[in-house]
Amino acid sequence: MIPIIEIAKRALDGKPMLEKEYDLRVFSPRVQELVKEYGISYDPDILVPSDDGLADSIFKAAIDLICDVGVYCKDTERVIAFEEKEVMNELKTSFDHAVFGEGMEQRTLLPRTPESKQKPWIFAGAGGVTVSDESIFMRLVENYARRIPIANAITTPCLLSVDGATIRARSPLEIEGSIRTVVLGREALRRAGRPGLPIMNAIGTSESAIALASGLHPDFGLRKTDGYMVAELAELKTDLDLLNRVALLQSLNVPIAGIYGPIYGGFAGGAEGTAVTSAAFHIQGILTYGASWTLCFPIHVKYTSSSSPELIWVASAYAQAVTRNTSVPALYYNYTAAGPCTEMVLHEFAAEFIAGVSSGASIETGGVAKGKYFDYLTPIEPMFAAEVAYASAGLKRSDANEIAKKIVSKFKDKIPDPPKGKRFQDCCDPLTGEPSKECFDIYHKVKKEVTDLGIDFLY
Amino acid sequence: MFTYVGCSFLDVHSVFILITFGSEIKMSKDIEAIRQAVIEGDAESVASLTKKALDAGIDPLDILEKGISEGAQTVGKQFENMEIFLTELMLSGEAMMAGLEVVLPQLKSEDVPHKGKVVVGTVRGDVHEIGKNIFKSLLVANGFEVSDLGVDVPTSKFVEEAEKINADIIAVSALMTSTLGGQKDVIDFLEQTGDREKYIVMVGGGPSNQEWADEIGADGFAETAPDGVRVATQLIEKRRA
Repeated sequence: MIPIIEIAKRALDGKPMLEKEYDLRVFSPRVQELVKEYGISYDPDILVPSDDGLADSIFKAAIDLICDVGVYCKDTERVIAFEEKEVMNELKTSFDHAVFGEGMEQRTLLPRTPESKQKPWIFAGAGGVTVSDESIFMRLVENYARRIPIANAITTPCLLSVDGATIRARSPLEIEGSIRTVVLGREALRRAGRPGLPIMNAIGTSESAIALASGLHPDFGLRKTDGYMVAELAELKTDLDLLNRVALLQSLNVPIAGIYGPIYGGFAGGAEGTAVTSAAFHIQGILTYGASWTLCFPIHVKYTSSSSPELIWVASAYAQAVTRNTSVPALYYNYTAAGPCTEMVLHEFAAEFIAGVSSGASIETGGVAKGKYFDYLTPIEPMFAAEVAYASAGLKRSDANEIAKKIVSKFKDKIPDPPKGKRFQDCCDPLTGEPSKECFDIYHKVKKEVTDLGIDFLY
Repeated sequence: MFTYVGCSFLDVHSVFILITFGSEIKMSKDIEAIRQAVIEGDAESVASLTKKALDAGIDPLDILEKGISEGAQTVGKQFENMEIFLTELMLSGEAMMAGLEVVLPQLKSEDVPHKGKVVVGTVRGDVHEIGKNIFKSLLVANGFEVSDLGVDVPTSKFVEEAEKINADIIAVSALMTSTLGGQKDVIDFLEQTGDREKYIVMVGGGPSNQEWADEIGADGFAETAPDGVRVATQLIEKRRA
């Protein structure tokens, strides 16, 4: 692992460059050159490619990309550079597992490969989407833990406010919100009878390094066996605040994830460039953060969701590239266009996770309704998503492709104007979090459809 | 173009018409070259072609409207249809600006058609800018004059800049739930200083939505950058009406 001090030195002493120059004249053209050089092409008729050569080309292009353009530090306006030999050595010696949870819930996150029968890591819950009050937070987390027995870890919601005051970044409200997220999450898991379950998006509500540091105090309940995410910025960037978090987390010896949302239609260009960039981000996490796991959430620049066919191809192709060529476990997170208590949201989860899991990824259940609206969450969506992901282990990519295509045909025309769905308050019992009959009816209907397409659910 | 001018059977009137027609074709070729260079995002060519066209006596307003602006609008539509991507959009924006630097000094300010002046920026505490940059590029492509304050912008800076350029719109972006309040801060600040009615305030970015815009009293919200341009156009037209 490259020491964080070395990364900091490069961020402070690297080649100076204007950010716009990096985006438009360094990063973007090089991605397109590499796409051509390696003959990478997107076939709109395929969602889950079965071509190992394509996956390996994407990976090689990603290595070249990171060696050629480096990682840009926004604060210092300098490039953190890497030599190819150094990159290859780091990849050979990078982490190949991470241990999460305590007692009966302790599990080891292991790397998967395409078509692997090994069950995916199920990181289930809210995907960091915001809720308006603490009781909804509690009901949701309790229900995730109770209703998703195959969950290996929980992703909590974020809090919108504390004591009625809207949380603001860099304010004491953010500090208090960060602490409460941990305290409430841990208590909700205890109430659900799964106190050892890890929280892998610690600390969801913290945006700044100081808020993260505040929530880390042992008095508040975070553990070394929880998961710690550090963002990588679009595209192939970081900043000093993020490197500060890494410095703190590495000193605490906790499992760090590099998390990143490459933008389809952004500086990476179309599907091919976005797949190469996604793979390069995975490598960036290993090099700059010493990541022991990574999380990718590609986003469509126009729809701000990830379920359109070209994005599913990106997720599949990138996952195959990195899981065939690195030991660091890769997780895939999605943004659905549709909201809770709709058939479309479940179709989106099914298509995306069938593609992702058959391509070697594990999953974090994603942001519903683009993660955009407060309280647009129920326990049903992550429950269904987890069940689909679990059942997709061992699927051949060609079969996954056919199944995913049939599912995508049910919703792709609705992506530009998706149904918003219902708020937690409108379709769940506020005291117990029990979803309404309508929610369950939709769940059973879609589950039967997906079963009929060939997915063999565990239960 | 002048092949037939010397033909003996043509009268003087016909010759005049053909020369005029030829000049128009020449003019349209020059303007088309500018339009094409804007589409290709070639700033250097746009600047040199614009200068050449001016030297050839082509009306600067034609260069602006039929060359530079039309090229930028084409690029805006191509981006909206996902035929091109952000890099091409931004390079075209740069090319358009290169052309404007040459042509604008040749025009009286009252002759320059512009849809409105917009201040854009991402709120204090938030460093996300890709969505804001797309919105800015599409505004420019659609004939707006834009002042981009960048990211992590203090509240008062939005208002100062709006006053400085006599803006029509202040467009405030935020990508995180915990920075969304920065959009309300701008409106609160304007109300406190008694300037709220002077400006249209638009909000956008990840967690923003229409309900939030209504709650804080913003004039407009858009889910996407292309929608943002449409909303900005409508709000300005409404105000001017």
